[in-house]
Amino acid sequence: MLRLDAITVCYGKVPALREVSLEVHAGELVTLIGANGAGKTTTLKAISGLLSLASGSIEFEGVPIANTRPRDVLARGIAHCPEGRRVFPELTVRENLAMGAYLRRDQAGIADDLERIFAKLPRLKERIGQIAGTLSGGEQQMLAIARSLMSRPRLMLFDEPSLGLAPNLVERVFEIIAEIRREGTTVLMVEQNALAALEMCDRAYLLETGQMVLAGAGRDLLENPHMRRAYLGG
Amino acid sequence: MDQILQHALNGVVLGGTYALLGIGLTLIFGIMRVVNFTHGELYAFGAYLAYLFVALLHLDFFLSIALAALAGFALGALIELVLLRPLRSNDIDTVMLVMIGAWIALQNGEQFVWGGVAKLVPSPFAQEPLVIGPVSVAPLRLFVLGATLVLLVGFYWLIDRTRLGMAMRATFQDRDTAALMGIDVRGIYTLTFALGSALAAIAGALLGPIFLVNPTMGNLVGLKAFAIVILGGLGNITGATIGGFVLALVEEFGAGYLSSEYRDAFGFLVIIAVLALRPQGFFARKARVG
Repeated sequence: MLRLDAITVCYGKVPALREVSLEVHAGELVTLIGANGAGKTTTLKAISGLLSLASGSIEFEGVPIANTRPRDVLARGIAHCPEGRRVFPELTVRENLAMGAYLRRDQAGIADDLERIFAKLPRLKERIGQIAGTLSGGEQQMLAIARSLMSRPRLMLFDEPSLGLAPNLVERVFEIIAEIRREGTTVLMVEQNALAALEMCDRAYLLETGQMVLAGAGRDLLENPHMRRAYLGG
Repeated sequence: MDQILQHALNGVVLGGTYALLGIGLTLIFGIMRVVNFTHGELYAFGAYLAYLFVALLHLDFFLSIALAALAGFALGALIELVLLRPLRSNDIDTVMLVMIGAWIALQNGEQFVWGGVAKLVPSPFAQEPLVIGPVSVAPLRLFVLGATLVLLVGFYWLIDRTRLGMAMRATFQDRDTAALMGIDVRGIYTLTFALGSALAAIAGALLGPIFLVNPTMGNLVGLKAFAIVILGGLGNITGATIGGFVLALVEEFGAGYLSSEYRDAFGFLVIIAVLALRPQGFFARKARVG
């Protein structure tokens, strides 16, 4: 479904990613793990068009999408739920959700999706008129996820969805992501919480200082000695 | 008492156009992070176009003001596309220098085309002031007040109620995330600059018949627009609206009760006081939660 082929991304002259390749098949939940600054967020931003490539290529369903604008990537069916939630703090919950459906014109479909999301996350419905900046961290993360779903994506990119959340909320967020995947949306997730990510994913990639160093099934990586030593605390 | 009402009315008439100027500038700064030194020149541009259309081409007065606004929109879009878009990834200093250059070029262009002699825009309104109870007001000024109020309401409707306005607010709050939602951020930038420029041009076209039109008229107005933006808090539209009225009222009362010689100085004294006491502006937003 998604294929990154030897992509290099630079900030100024400094390469942040060097020849990174990665593949996500339809229906999979793939996770990308690595330390701070390894290039995980950069990878997602390159896919969604926020950053352009120095070299390499990105294909989505056989169509090259590298170096196109974010709105074109979104229109093809990839939604990017950014790190740190990034809800629009001074828009209401309703307006944030409307922004998620910005490119859509099918009012009836949007209303249906809104109902479905409210069934899943009733808390958001209670807060529909509230300014998003006044929500709690957990509620903001739910809103960010819901907002991305409003574009009806076929591939969802999640960047550190558990970041800065209380443990019970972390669990809830991972449940929601698993549910999204069960309902047929393919997921590529960046996570620092390596253990949780490896346990829930089909396959995983490990990035270190801008290079891909390991790839494999989640349960295999759980057993990998390098992985255990550096990321799983044992 | 009558005098107070009279000054208040004059201040409100002037304040409406100040608010239009301030909103245009604060919108551009807030959404694009561009310090727009050409703002005062767009005001002069609007005034000169009003002169061209009304005095030289003998077009209808109201149509002329609308055409001046459209031309301001077009010139703003052109400046954004030609000067600002290619500089998008440059630092703010570079952009500021280019905008200062554009300001000087526009002003000298006006002087070159129109010469240094001030022009008068004729208006179709009677010179006789209308006397309403204790106050009197020229019909032209009443029209200016009405037009600015309609524009202010229309502008708030655009920002608050339309899909486009929501996209502008989202871009203002978080540019990258707005792009991820499918908003054409570059298009929003062009539109923002064009819209802000149109507001400046229409303010010039409205005030053209009240004041004389001359090539350097944009300087003082540009400075005042910055003052209004600072007063209201950078990027704050409601703040700029209130700031516009506050500045005009301060000028009007200062000129009326203290000294008309120092009319333009009173506004700047207020700005100095604001910068010393409350540099974030009077209507700065609270720190964001989350």
